[in-house]
Amino acid sequence: MNKAEFLDALSKKLSMLSQEDIQKSIDYYSEIIDDMTEDGLSETEAVESIGTVDEIAEQILMDTPLPKLVKAKVTPKRSLKGWEIALIILGFPVWFPLIVTAISVVISVYAALWVVIVALYAVVFALFVSAGAFLPATFVSVFGGNVLRGIVFFGITLFCVGAGILLLLAFNQLTKLIIKLSKAILKGIKSWFVKKEKTNESI
Amino acid sequence: MDIQIKRGLLDVCVLASIKIEDSYGYQIIKDIKPYIEVSESTLYPILRRLESAELLTVRTAEHNGRLRKYYHITEAGLKRIEDFKEEWKEITSIYEYVTREDKKDE
Repeated sequence: MNKAEFLDALSKKLSMLSQEDIQKSIDYYSEIIDDMTEDGLSETEAVESIGTVDEIAEQILMDTPLPKLVKAKVTPKRSLKGWEIALIILGFPVWFPLIVTAISVVISVYAALWVVIVALYAVVFALFVSAGAFLPATFVSVFGGNVLRGIVFFGITLFCVGAGILLLLAFNQLTKLIIKLSKAILKGIKSWFVKKEKTNESI
Repeated sequence: MDIQIKRGLLDVCVLASIKIEDSYGYQIIKDIKPYIEVSESTLYPILRRLESAELLTVRTAEHNGRLRKYYHITEAGLKRIEDFKEEWKEITSIYEYVTREDKKDE
């Protein structure tokens, strides 16, 4: 692949970005390749040492902030035709609820993850509260003469404290996993925007 | 190396490479490659990030009948390097603390 082919392929892969952003990337890589050839490499060698077009395009797209990516994706590359504008207006009752639904789904998935975390710690909290209640109950029973019931209560207290500590440790790990998961989801949404463009192109 | 640490170090390395005189993409890579792993594709987002943070400015100049972008460090960029030196003192004292056990063993 020579320089012209490489830059052409790259600008096609970046077609979802604004013209200005594409030009900046092309200028950068064009300059690098020129400098490499000036340094003694052949054009093909220079292009090869930079990496594949796919890798470079994906890196540039992933480095583009999500709002910019969405905006670039939503903004049409050419001005809309009259019938397209009419369709968009007429289709409003259809696409508007769909977009609202999509956004709500993402928000609910996020909310659900956080609710799980809150629920987990609520269990631990409940166990410690129970322990806090059964300990005085133990003393009351023992000093009230009912030693047997006191022993049972003391056992429950110990169980609650033990289970509480164990679950707290386990839940801390689980929370870390959930936070990782939510980050992965965000990254997934982002790469969905990036990948989507690729499949569109191959059609 | 931890990715966040590496990102911070790369920023400072790029700034350091243009501290004395303005430089261009390929030269920056050649200058810092012996010290930190960097490629053409990793330098690009760094330069853009540093530019939008106003730690460096870009000017275009002609070279051998074509255009080349030269990067110039700003006051804020120089300050970033000074901040890094200060941070490094903290890091070395943390390092001393982390490795204190190893020294006792010796």
